[in-house]
Amino acid sequence: MNKVMSNKWMIALYVLPSLMLVAILIFIPLVLTGYYGLTEWNGAGVMKFVGLENYAHALQDEQFRESVVHSFLLALFSTLSLGIYLVVSLILASKIKGTNLLRKIYLIPMLLSSVAIAQLWLKVYHPTNGMLNSLLNLLGVDHPPEWLANPDIVLYAIFIPILWQYAGFYILIYYAALKNVPEELIEAARIDGATPLQIALKVKVPLISGIIKVTVVLAIVGSLKYFDLIYVMTGGGPNGASEVMASYMYKEAFGSYHFGYGSAIAFYLLIITLIMTYFTRKLTASKDDVQY
Amino acid sequence: MKLPYVFLYMVLALIAVFQIYPLIWLLSFSLKDNTEIFGKSPFALPESPKWENYVKVWTDGNIGTYFFNSVWITVLSVALTVLLASMVTFAITRMNWKLNKPVLGLFMVGYMIPIHSALIPLFSMFNKVGLIDNPLSIVITYTAYNLPLTIMILLGFYYSLPREMEEAAIMDGCSINRLFFKIILPMTTPVVSTTVIINMIFNWNEFVFVNTFISSEKYKTLTVGIQNFIGQYMTDWGAIGATLMISVLPLLIAFIFFSDRIIDGITAGAVKG
Amino acid sequence: MKKKAVTLLSLLLMLLLAVAGCGDDQASEGESDGENKTIQFMHLWPEGNSTAHYNIVEDIIDGFEKENPGVKVDVEVLSNEQYKEKIKVLSSSDKLPDVGMTWAAGYLKPYVEGNQFAPLNDVLDGGLEDLFVSGTVEAYSIDGQAYGLPLELNIAPVFYNKAMFDEYGLSAPETYEEFKNIVSVLADNGVAPIALGNKDRWTGSLWYMYLADRIGGPNLLTEAINGTETFHNAEFQKAAEEIQNLVNQDAFVQGFNGLSDQEAKSLFMNSQAAMYLIGSWDLPNYTTNEEVPQEFRDSIGYFSFPTVDGMGDRNSWVGGPGVGLFVAENSDVKDEAKAFVKYFVEQWGEQAVTKAGVIPATKVDTDKVDLHQMYIDVLNDLSNASNITLFADVQMDPDDAQTHLDLIQALFGLDVTPEEFTEQHQEALSN
Repeated sequence: MNKVMSNKWMIALYVLPSLMLVAILIFIPLVLTGYYGLTEWNGAGVMKFVGLENYAHALQDEQFRESVVHSFLLALFSTLSLGIYLVVSLILASKIKGTNLLRKIYLIPMLLSSVAIAQLWLKVYHPTNGMLNSLLNLLGVDHPPEWLANPDIVLYAIFIPILWQYAGFYILIYYAALKNVPEELIEAARIDGATPLQIALKVKVPLISGIIKVTVVLAIVGSLKYFDLIYVMTGGGPNGASEVMASYMYKEAFGSYHFGYGSAIAFYLLIITLIMTYFTRKLTASKDDVQY
Repeated sequence: MKLPYVFLYMVLALIAVFQIYPLIWLLSFSLKDNTEIFGKSPFALPESPKWENYVKVWTDGNIGTYFFNSVWITVLSVALTVLLASMVTFAITRMNWKLNKPVLGLFMVGYMIPIHSALIPLFSMFNKVGLIDNPLSIVITYTAYNLPLTIMILLGFYYSLPREMEEAAIMDGCSINRLFFKIILPMTTPVVSTTVIINMIFNWNEFVFVNTFISSEKYKTLTVGIQNFIGQYMTDWGAIGATLMISVLPLLIAFIFFSDRIIDGITAGAVKG
Repeated sequence: MKKKAVTLLSLLLMLLLAVAGCGDDQASEGESDGENKTIQFMHLWPEGNSTAHYNIVEDIIDGFEKENPGVKVDVEVLSNEQYKEKIKVLSSSDKLPDVGMTWAAGYLKPYVEGNQFAPLNDVLDGGLEDLFVSGTVEAYSIDGQAYGLPLELNIAPVFYNKAMFDEYGLSAPETYEEFKNIVSVLADNGVAPIALGNKDRWTGSLWYMYLADRIGGPNLLTEAINGTETFHNAEFQKAAEEIQNLVNQDAFVQGFNGLSDQEAKSLFMNSQAAMYLIGSWDLPNYTTNEEVPQEFRDSIGYFSFPTVDGMGDRNSWVGGPGVGLFVAENSDVKDEAKAFVKYFVEQWGEQAVTKAGVIPATKVDTDKVDLHQMYIDVLNDLSNASNITLFADVQMDPDDAQTHLDLIQALFGLDVTPEEFTEQHQEALSN
C-alpha cells in the first residue's frame, strides 16, 4: 500500500503539470507585479526603478487606506452571509418535497454574467424610476434614498448584489457537501429521537465542517480581491465611497497610467490576503482536523 | 407540525420568486429598446416586444462563431481544470510525500492574485511565445486561474472519502491510475459536478482575458459579442439583453444536467460501495 | 508502470515549456511577408451599434485596398472602454496595432513620450493639413509634431425641451440670471431641470468648465492646466461655488452622482428632465435618428451657455476633437499605414456627416451637403466660435484628469468645499 502510494514518479505526474501551469501563468505574473511595484511606469514609456517608493506612498494614501477598509467590510459581510447560505442549503438538502426544483431555481442568478446582474441592480437602485424607490413611493416614503449617489449608503447598497451574486456559488458547494453526508448517520440520529434541527446542527454541520472552513477562506479571499460589480455599478464612487482595493488598483493602473503604483497596490492586496488566509486557517483549525 | 411547514414553504416560495425573477426580467429587458429600458418602470413588460433585438443579434456580427468558440473553449477548459485539479487533490490527500502541504499552499496562493494585475505580465509572456490571438492562450489561462479554486473545493470532499475501498483495491494489485480513474473519480461525481458547474459558469462568462489576448473575430466568444452593441457614446441595451439571454440559455440547460448529477453520483457511489 | 509515467510526464513538461519558454520567431509573423502587407487597424465603432460608422470604415478600407494592391487591412473592433483597456495592455508590450484610434492632448502624451506613436507631419504636408478645421490637429500635437489625425469635432451646447419650456412660459436663456430663473421655475413645479449623469464625471466637468469659462474668461482653464495660471485664481472658486448653488437649488436630477450619462440622457429623452448639456455627437438623437419619436426630436432646441453677470463670450465653447487616428512608431508597415490614415481622412469627412451624423474635424461645405437644420446651426457655431476649450479631462495628463474628475464628483456631491476643490486641483497640477 504505502509503496504504491509513495511512487515519486506518479506523484510528479499527478501534481507537476498543474503546478507548472500555475507557476508559469500565475506566479510569474505575481513576481512581475511585485517588481513593477518597484518602478515608476506609465505602461507606454520607460520603466524607472524607484525602490520602495510606491509601497511607502500607498501607506500614506488616504484613498488606498479607505479602499482597504471597504474590502475588509465586504469580507466581513461575505463571511457572515455564509451562515444564511448554510441554512438555505440545509433546507434544500433535507428530505422535504420540492427541493429538487427549488435548488435549481435558487441557483439561477449565479448563471448570469456580471453585466446582466449590474444592469438589473442599477434598475433596482435607480433614484427615480427604480424598483426599490417605486415601492418605497407606494409605501408613502417621500424622499427615498439615492442608493448609489449617497456616499453614506452606497457601500452597503453595493454589497447586497455582490452577496446575492455569490449566494448560488456557496449554496451549491454546501449542498453537494450535505448530500455527501452518509445516510446511516442521519438515520441513526433520527432513531435516537433527534429533531431535524438537532440533526442539522449536531450531525450534518460538524460533518461538513471541512468544507465550511474552505468556504470561509474562499469568501474572505474572494471579497478582498473583488472587482466586477463595483466597477460597473459605481466605478468606486461617488468620490471613493465604494472604492475597494481591486477597483482602486485598476483605476490607478488603467485610469491614471500609474502602472507602477497600481502594481504596488496589487501586491499589497496579495500580502493582505495571504495574512488573512493564514489567520483564518489558524482560527478555524481544530485538533481533530485532518487537513490543516 | 403542519403550520411550521406551511410557513417554511411560503418563505421558500418567496425566495424562489426572487431568484427566478432576474431571468424573467432579462427576457423582458431583451425585448425593449433604450427608451423603454431607461424611461419606463423596470417592472413593466415590453409595450411592443422588440423581437428585432434577437434578429439583430443573430444577423449583425458573428454570433454563430462566438457561440461555437464559447462552447469548445468552455468544455475544454472545464475538462482540463477538473481533471487536473482532481489529480492534484488526489495526490495531496492520498499519496505519501513530504511536500504535500507546501504544494497545497502554493496552489492556494494562486487563488489570491487579482486578475487585472496579471493582465500585462501575461500578455507580455504570451506575446513572447507567439500565443497572442491563439485560443490556446485562453484555455491554459482559464485552466490555471481556476485550478486553485477547484482544488480547494475538491479538498474538503476528498478528506471525507472512506479509505477502505482504495486500500482493498491496492491490495488487489490495482495501479494508481486505475484506482484514480476507475474508483476515485466515479466516487467523487457529486463534487466533480459541482466544480464543473462552477468552472463552466466562470469560463462561459469570462471576458477580460478573451478581450485582451484575442483579436481575430474567428476566435472571439459570446461575452465579447456583447461589445458589438456598445458604441462610442451610446449603447444598445436591448440587443445586449438579447445577447445575454441567448448566452444564458445553454448554460441553464447544462446547469440543470450537471445539477442532477450531484445526487446521481451519490446513489451510484452508494451502489458500488 | 514507471516508464509510462515518465514518458507522460516528460511529454507534458515539453508542452508546457513550449508554452512558457523560448521561441520569439512567431511573434512578428504575418505582418509583412514579401509582396503582401497587412495593416492591423483597431477602431471602436462596432457593426451592431454604430452601423453607419462601421460601414463607412469598411468602404474606406475597400477603396484603399483597391488602390493599393498587395496591402490588406485587418480590422479589430472593440467597444469604447475595452478598446482603451486593450490599447494600454498592448502598449505595455510595445505591440500597438499599426493604425488605431487615440484621443487628443493628455490622452496621447504617455504614448508619445514612450515613443509609440509615429509623428505624422510628413502625412500632413502637401495639402492634407488644409483639410482640417484650424486648431484640431494642434490638439494632437506635442512640440510641433502631430501624432494623430482628428476625425471628430464637437462642441457642447445645452439641449433643451421646448415643449417643457413652453408649458411654463420659459424660453432659452441669454444670461445666467434667466437660466437660474428657469431652474427655479422648473424645480418649483416638480420638474427636474437638468439631466446629469455624474457617475461618469466628465459630464459634470462640462458644467464646471462653462462656469469657469464665463466667469474667468475663455483661456483661464487652459492656462491653469498649462501652468501659466493657477487654480488659486478666485474665478475658479467662484465657479465651484456656483456649481454648489445649482446643486442646492435642485437643478440636477435626483441621484445624479449615481447615474451614468446614458441613464441621464434617457431621462431627458423621456421628457423627465428639461435640459441636458452634452457634446454635439448626440445630434442624431434630436435630428435624424428614426428610432426617436419625431415629436420629441422636433421639440428639442439648443442654446449656448449663457453669460454670467454680463461676463463671458457665448461664442466660446467647451468641446474639441474626439477620436483621431494614430500610426504606431514601431509598425512594420509604417509607410502603408501612413498612406492609409491619409486616405482615411480624405474620405471620411463628407461621408461621416451625411451618413453617420458625425461632425468631422475636416471642413464641411454646408452648401454641398444636405443636412438637418440643427447640424447647419452647429456647424455655423463652430465656424463662428471665438474659442473652443478642450474637455478638461482630455486636456490634462491622465493622472491629473483622474484627480479632476474625482473632485468634480465630490464638488457636485457637496463632499468638498470650493476652497478644497481649487486647492486640490492646484496641488495635483503642480506635481
